[in-house]
Amino acid sequence: MIETRTSPAELIVAFGGWVLALLWVSPLLYAFWTAFHPAAYAVRFDLLAPWTLENFARVWNAAPFPRYFLNTFLLVTLILCCQFVICTLAAYAFVCFPFKGSDVLFMFVLLQLMIMPEALLVENYKTVAQLGLLDTVLAMGLPYLASAFGIFLFRQTFKSIPKELEEAARLEGANMFQVLLRVFVPVAKPIYIAYGLVTVSYHWNNFLWPLVVTNSVDTRPITVGLQIFATIEQGVDWSLITAATILSVSPLLVAFLLFQRQFVQSFMRAGIR
Amino acid sequence: MTSIALKRRTALLGAAMLGALAAMPASAKTTLDFYYPIQVGGPLTKVVDGYIAKFKEANPDIEVNAVYSGNYTDTTTKALTAAKSGAPPAVAVLLATDIFTLIDEDVVEPVGEFVKNDADKAWLAGFMPAYLKSAQVGGKLWSIPFQRSTAVLYYNKDAFASAGLDPNKPPKTWAEMVAMGKAVTQKDASGKVTRWGVGIPGNIGSSQWLFGALVAQNGGRLMNDEGTETYLTDQKVVDALQFWVDLSTKEGVHPPGIQEWGTTPQDFLEQRIAMIWTTTGNLTNIARNASFKFGLAPYPGNPKPASVLGGGNFYIFKKAPQDQKDAAFKLVKFLTSDELQADWAIQTGYVAPRDGAWNVPVLKEYTAKMPDALVAKNQIPDSVPEFSTYENARTTKILNDALSAALTGSKTPRQALSEAQTAIDRILRPYRR
Repeated sequence: MIETRTSPAELIVAFGGWVLALLWVSPLLYAFWTAFHPAAYAVRFDLLAPWTLENFARVWNAAPFPRYFLNTFLLVTLILCCQFVICTLAAYAFVCFPFKGSDVLFMFVLLQLMIMPEALLVENYKTVAQLGLLDTVLAMGLPYLASAFGIFLFRQTFKSIPKELEEAARLEGANMFQVLLRVFVPVAKPIYIAYGLVTVSYHWNNFLWPLVVTNSVDTRPITVGLQIFATIEQGVDWSLITAATILSVSPLLVAFLLFQRQFVQSFMRAGIR
Repeated sequence: MTSIALKRRTALLGAAMLGALAAMPASAKTTLDFYYPIQVGGPLTKVVDGYIAKFKEANPDIEVNAVYSGNYTDTTTKALTAAKSGAPPAVAVLLATDIFTLIDEDVVEPVGEFVKNDADKAWLAGFMPAYLKSAQVGGKLWSIPFQRSTAVLYYNKDAFASAGLDPNKPPKTWAEMVAMGKAVTQKDASGKVTRWGVGIPGNIGSSQWLFGALVAQNGGRLMNDEGTETYLTDQKVVDALQFWVDLSTKEGVHPPGIQEWGTTPQDFLEQRIAMIWTTTGNLTNIARNASFKFGLAPYPGNPKPASVLGGGNFYIFKKAPQDQKDAAFKLVKFLTSDELQADWAIQTGYVAPRDGAWNVPVLKEYTAKMPDALVAKNQIPDSVPEFSTYENARTTKILNDALSAALTGSKTPRQALSEAQTAIDRILRPYRR
């Protein structure tokens, strides 16, 4: 007999899912509500409250947002491109060209995962200062250009690709770069998308290192620019801060809504959850 | 595209300038970095840039890079990182309470060393003693007051009048505050409170500040001037916390649990709380948004009224080159002149820490229009420095945790404070040699 009614267990799962989803989305809903209403309605819910764009206008005029967006965009692009190239090549080497001590080397790469970047703040700053790169976009990206997590993730993916595919390509006369670009990378595409998303959102939101290493409006990313609205000493101006937050996350939010299906599928396949 | 090209050009220019600086003898233009945080609203980076432009006009041989660096915590992190890697800013505005940490890290130079001639001494004598006191450790002056604040009582005059109280007589003692709080507390038909009598923010990060005021009002003290001892188990300290807890549990005039700092001004503006304890820095915000008559009052006492000081000071960094430090001292003197402090007070709501600044015409006009601003100034002689010891971040957190444990009722005041005292003793022992 086929059970057509939903079982109580499924109901509970669905109910739990809704509750968690609502919990998760509630700060965002609050932010939207507050950002589009006058300050008087920040902590009062009234369906008839007047709508306004004034908060956005004030925020936009209070800081050079176009410049901040450009800086963040440059930073994230730089990091993403370099990480893809470096991590792909490293992972490829670990999988297909084992050498004496490559396992030990890989262990060292993994070890790096356990070091908090904040612990290296002073040393990184010293290095960047010696290179004469303080207050540049390159300096903000430098410590992140290679990623232990990326190498690990790509290595695991490449390992799971059947040897036969690689051998077939070799028989057809592909050289080692062609094997990488025509076989490994296309198969690992979902992983690249998923990893790219994680990297972009992490570096879009990164705050401490960019703050420490930059001094001027010309290099600072959006997160550091946002900080100016968190003037806690005077109490929080929620309408301003939510408007600024929505402004700064909106590119990511729009991208996510547009490519939601692809993202979710990549995550399912990549196993990063 | 153009901006990238532009960027490259500025980078090249920067490199060229660096090269030029390295090649030139010390007699050339001095360039110094100045880090500052912003903690209050308004377009303040522009105001600071304006001050710096004026300074450069008066001192064409000095170039100042004024770097806005987030809030106080961010600025401290940034300055300490730079100092630890050997390339500190010449001068930074950091919390007055960071003094012991900065001495301990051995990154700051006593500002007193720069005070040489009579003009410097006269300038130094112009600061209010209460503010200078919190910058002195071990007989040396380590920093110069800049953006200083103090906590005051804001009260809703309309609520006082409708409860039959004299709106021009704010509470002078704890007992009066409780009695007036009861009078203005309102409940709806179901017994739910719609307006509380008094709100004292007690969330992590602000509770130690206002608790300092409560303790001082009760005649106690939280720590010694050397930053090596705390007195949390002192009966006067315990009683002060008991009073704070009792405000909601026994007297029913204070919202239960922890009142949030960030939402307190909003609660006041929406008339959910009739008296709030918060910083003078809120005056502009509240004056602009209040739909009712309100007043500022000095803090009540039990019996001695007292408040607590807060805010940031200038620190000069030790490892900066001597010419930069000298230039930084000039900058500090410039930014703390009576005229600029008067303007800064009006722009920000901070309390000018110099008596002379209050006699500058613009500030006089301002206080004539808004006499409430004077309440803060008049209260300063009765104010104590904010809680500050060596290892300040850790001890402050312990005190904060103890206060919130007591306010939420998970521990009794005595239990919470004596546990905190034990934990702090363990941290401060090495400094008590």
